[in-house]
Amino acid sequence: MATVTFDQASRFYPGSDVPAVDRLDLDIGDGEFLVLVGPSGCGKSTTLRMLAGLEDVDEGAIHIGDRDVTNLPPRERDIAMVFQSYALYPHMTVAQNMGFALEMAKVPKEERSARVLEAARILDLEPYLDRRPKALSGGQRQRVAMGRAIVRQPKVFLMDEPLSNLDAKLRVSTRSQIAALQKRLGVTTVYVTHDQVEAMTMGDRVAVLKDGVLQQCDTPLALYKKPANNFVAGFIGSPSMNIREFKVANGHARIGELDVPLSRDELGVLAREGSDSVLLGFRPESVDLVGAGEGFPVVVRLVEELGADAYLYGSIVGTEDAEAADIVTRVDPARTPRIGETVYLRVRPGQEHAFSPQTGERLG
Amino acid sequence: MLTPSLPAPTATKPRQPPAPRTLTAGERWRLRAPLLPALVFAIALTQVPFLLTLYYSVQSQNLLRPGSKEFVGLANYGKVFTDELFRNAVFNTVTLTASTVILSMLLGIGLAVLLDKKFLGRSVVRTLLITPFLVMPAAAALLWKTSMFNPVFGLVNWMLSPFGVDNVDWASRYPMPAIVGVLVWQWTPFMMLIVLAGLQSQSPEVLEAAKVDGANAWQTFRRVTLPHLRQFIELAILLGSIFIVQTFDAIFMITQGGPGQATTNLPYFIYQQAFRAFDVGEAAAAGVIVVVATITIAMVALRVISNLFTEESA
Ligand SMILES: Nc1ncnc2c1ncn2[C@@H]1O[C@H](COP(=O)(O)OP(=O)(O)O)[C@@H](O)[C@H]1O
Ligand SMILES: [Mg+2]
Repeated sequence: MATVTFDQASRFYPGSDVPAVDRLDLDIGDGEFLVLVGPSGCGKSTTLRMLAGLEDVDEGAIHIGDRDVTNLPPRERDIAMVFQSYALYPHMTVAQNMGFALEMAKVPKEERSARVLEAARILDLEPYLDRRPKALSGGQRQRVAMGRAIVRQPKVFLMDEPLSNLDAKLRVSTRSQIAALQKRLGVTTVYVTHDQVEAMTMGDRVAVLKDGVLQQCDTPLALYKKPANNFVAGFIGSPSMNIREFKVANGHARIGELDVPLSRDELGVLAREGSDSVLLGFRPESVDLVGAGEGFPVVVRLVEELGADAYLYGSIVGTEDAEAADIVTRVDPARTPRIGETVYLRVRPGQEHAFSPQTGERLG
Repeated sequence: MLTPSLPAPTATKPRQPPAPRTLTAGERWRLRAPLLPALVFAIALTQVPFLLTLYYSVQSQNLLRPGSKEFVGLANYGKVFTDELFRNAVFNTVTLTASTVILSMLLGIGLAVLLDKKFLGRSVVRTLLITPFLVMPAAAALLWKTSMFNPVFGLVNWMLSPFGVDNVDWASRYPMPAIVGVLVWQWTPFMMLIVLAGLQSQSPEVLEAAKVDGANAWQTFRRVTLPHLRQFIELAILLGSIFIVQTFDAIFMITQGGPGQATTNLPYFIYQQAFRAFDVGEAAAAGVIVVVATITIAMVALRVISNLFTEESA
């Protein structure tokens, strides 16, 4: 069990002068479940592989516990990794796969089989111990990959999109099993995914990456409530937040025909930047249908009914730029507006997010 | 297969292709006709000589005594099996094939492992390493005989001269090792290519998993890579053996099967029987025996290949 620290760690792939991971600073607590999330190609796997020792750290340092592991080979780091493809040894049985690391560590045979059996029991793999990976289903292979990691009782678990090869239903159930198992074992875990739902449901904390740069690292709720910039705001939450640029006049942002007050701090930052507009975001679920004149008018273009929820796709009336006018909101499925109708919407006070139109950083 | 006499579709087969339309006999022949010349050509070229060989193998015929031809049943086969020289040729063939295959396989694995790494000029090195396989066997043998093994001007002696070796006539002092050396030089690229294909078909993530699991380079090779390569190696050994059993050029060019019978293998023995002793009957019988033995090996090889494909696709 150990903490993990990234200290200004960077990785430049040969032949590229843009870093795949750019001066990453990250402190992961003992026993914490940290999720790295971000769009494809943002450097999640590279970060994880740097921690595993499979990728060089070109600048900065990485510590596991109080040991500097920056230049140590993988086998001296005491970590276990679950690969996206599972990477099981095809010619070994399930038991041999799980016992391989212990064998390399010269653990005596009796202890080895006891630990493999224990892991197999936890993961419901006992009937399959003598099978080859080829003869297992996708879900079973995934569990063998997990088993190979947990028999080692390592300092840190590393998991790179371990659920992406499972079907949607199995993914949801395995998701909660992995989270529960991690809580039970209490091993520090770094988990990579591109799926923000996975990140939000599994992580103690979630680190959002974009283009190799850490955007924000916080609890799932804090990411949802107080995104640090417009990228995080748009990435976390489904359907994603409506973020549009609106003109600022007299201390208010003007949405269609409605004036939304901005705080003194927010206005201060905008004034210093010299911006006469603001990036304003509001989540589909932060919007209420109100009577005429109390909100901004929206023409309904499409209504999606999902049973428990309904989503309204519409355009704000009175905005010149047609693209900037499109928004999504959640509405009561019992009273959905008709297509072509004009409805009035209001963002619940305090649930709007203001960002700088120049830097995308959160204001105030 | 064209008539709809297939068994009813079973539950495990969800979809059956639509049954092909039944063709009349005339239509079938019209469709096949364009293939006939190729078929006739292939049969004429392979099966007619084989049938002739079978025919000669049951005749007693010596070209030195014209008109001596008569049917002798299996007597030629009996003669072959009791012939001291034939047994010597079998022994030489086995020695030659086994040592060539083993040495070229070991070298091939080593070179393949090196070629599997990334380095500057890798494709040039790979091309150079393949060239011995592309040189015509007779030309290669001539080259080795004259410029490598020559006791006075040979490069082998020149290279070994700092170690106190001088004017050794390799082809007559160490005939078998000399032939094996030439064949290893020629066959190492073949082994290397097949093993390299095996190495490159291995998932890099599996190797990384072994690293993370604490295996060092040798343990990874021994426990993860080698089991993966096993079928590739088996395949290369079997295919290589089939070809190397038939070696003729190197022996004909370098040692003429000698000194004495030291390097006479089966093909050279058959050649001697037919064109030196002019005993066509015994040569034909020996030829049939070699063909049967080679086909047996080939069938094992084919089974390995099909195993390989089913394993990979599973
Ligand atoms: N072996 C490599 N060589 C060169 N560039 C690479 C290599 N692996 C990844 N990259 C680049 O580094 C960036 C981050 O990749 P990666 O960490 O795999 O992203 P993610 O896992 O978040 O999808 C990408 O732009 C990718 O193209
Ligand atoms: Mg990735």
